[in-house]
Amino acid sequence: MRMSALAFLKDRVLLIVFHLACMGMLSAFLRLTGYGGADLTIILIFWAIILCAWLTVTYMGRKRYFEESRKILDQVDERYLLGELLPASAGLEDRLYRDMIRQSNKSVIERIRRIETSEKEYREYIENWVHEVKAPITGISLLCENGRKPEPAMAAAPEAREILRDISVENQKIENYVDMALYYARSENVYKDFVIRKTNLQKIVEEILEKNRLLLIGNGVRAQVDCPDPVYTDGKWIAFIVNQLFLNCVKYRSAQPVFLVRTKREKDGVCLTVEDNGVGIRSEELSRIFEKGFTGSNGRDHERATGMGLYLCRRLCEKLGVGLLAESEYGRGTRMTLQFPISTYIDREQED
Amino acid sequence: MAAKILIIEDEAVIRRELKILLENAMYEAVALAEFQHIMLQVREQSPDLILLDINLPECSGFDLCTQIREETDVPVIFLTSRTDSMDELNGILRGGDDYITKPYQAPVLLARIGAVLKRTGGGQKKQTDVTKFVCSGVELDVAGCMLTCQDKQAELTKAEMKILYQLFRHPGEYISRMDLIEYLWENKIFIDDNTLSVHVARIREKLKAIGVEELIVTKRGIGYRV
Repeated sequence: MRMSALAFLKDRVLLIVFHLACMGMLSAFLRLTGYGGADLTIILIFWAIILCAWLTVTYMGRKRYFEESRKILDQVDERYLLGELLPASAGLEDRLYRDMIRQSNKSVIERIRRIETSEKEYREYIENWVHEVKAPITGISLLCENGRKPEPAMAAAPEAREILRDISVENQKIENYVDMALYYARSENVYKDFVIRKTNLQKIVEEILEKNRLLLIGNGVRAQVDCPDPVYTDGKWIAFIVNQLFLNCVKYRSAQPVFLVRTKREKDGVCLTVEDNGVGIRSEELSRIFEKGFTGSNGRDHERATGMGLYLCRRLCEKLGVGLLAESEYGRGTRMTLQFPISTYIDREQED
Repeated sequence: MAAKILIIEDEAVIRRELKILLENAMYEAVALAEFQHIMLQVREQSPDLILLDINLPECSGFDLCTQIREETDVPVIFLTSRTDSMDELNGILRGGDDYITKPYQAPVLLARIGAVLKRTGGGQKKQTDVTKFVCSGVELDVAGCMLTCQDKQAELTKAEMKILYQLFRHPGEYISRMDLIEYLWENKIFIDDNTLSVHVARIREKLKAIGVEELIVTKRGIGYRV
């Protein structure tokens, strides 16, 4: 809503009508008391001029005041601070309004602070909880490993080893879910925990495959990794994202799953592609897979989907400045691409 | 002499299992059971490597590392469930040699320990890695990736070599297909059941070419042996 002259006059219509009525009454009175028409005209003209001048000055003053306020409102990010930022004004009404706005803002700000604090506390609690729960996960993992492994000569009975393997797989699933909670809690503040380093993707991908080996072997997966190109990014976050992509590859696998992981050097960056020969994604659903809570027909037909994995991947990629692309042919497979940009100064550093 | 590894970890189960894991990997492992006078015990044990948990009762692993560094250059690997970049940086700044987050994978942990020991040259790991195995007159040269029988030789690919290595290490024992595949995955060869069969078939061809037949015995539903 802006201030216009017409609206301003409309607002003061009562005052103007009152003045016109007074003019009318004065004319009638002067006429009756026998004054001449010329005197009357001069009086009315002056009256009208003074009234118009007063209206104009008031209009200009108000217009300037509100335009300035609007400008301030448009410029600041925290609009709820308007009460503090309103231009000073001598007008009584302005001061009253300003005081009321200030009080209202204050209560909003207090409320926001409270919510922020409780959200922060909750996030910290989740992070701590995740770190605590990782100790028993490690314990289970080591117990299974030691029970299963030591040289076949000392190995436990085949049935027992079978059970330990199954426990390991389930334990790995727990770890993956727990990681998701951790990275979701952290996704808001990626910048706080972000160290860009030269990162060896081959090593990261191999470690993820190794970590999930029992789950992957159990599903008959075969994988090829060929990632010689280094990128500059934070390995930990990328490992989480690639892990999610692999978990999807396993979830929506074909009878003989094959994963191909490759890097390709391009003009303005390095692409990491994770390709599978799984069930693929219907073309009409492809654009929605990164939405929060979207499960699609695959998610319903196959293992239960949470609709969180890819959403988180997209969100983290945005924060890391990494592109994330999905291509798929339904029934043939899916290719996910992570695009790592190379900034010019890093290029120069490499040349040195 | 096996490298001596000191485990400083307050979770009893993890401590015990780590010790078993390291001992299975032919290291000498010592685990601290009380955390009052850690420095005293470190001095007493004079280990070749220390695995150090960051969240200890009484004190933080970071501070402990600083204390250790004041006295000795023994390599320190931090073990922690914290995954902050700041913590990692802190660990390296305090003189840590590596930083491994829980839950760690046994093969990864062992590989990192091996790498740190190799880099720092502290405590020669016992040379259990024999590079040559002989079975029924066939010699497997692990370092050279070669199979030799009398004067005939056959070259092996990495995957074939790893399969034979595992079989030659346990002559007479059946190794299950599952165990073989898992062993290969731990060595960064990510294959499935069918591919294993293909590899074994190729090995048999190579063996045939150097005049060896029926070295590898298949037992259906169980696995292979030499």
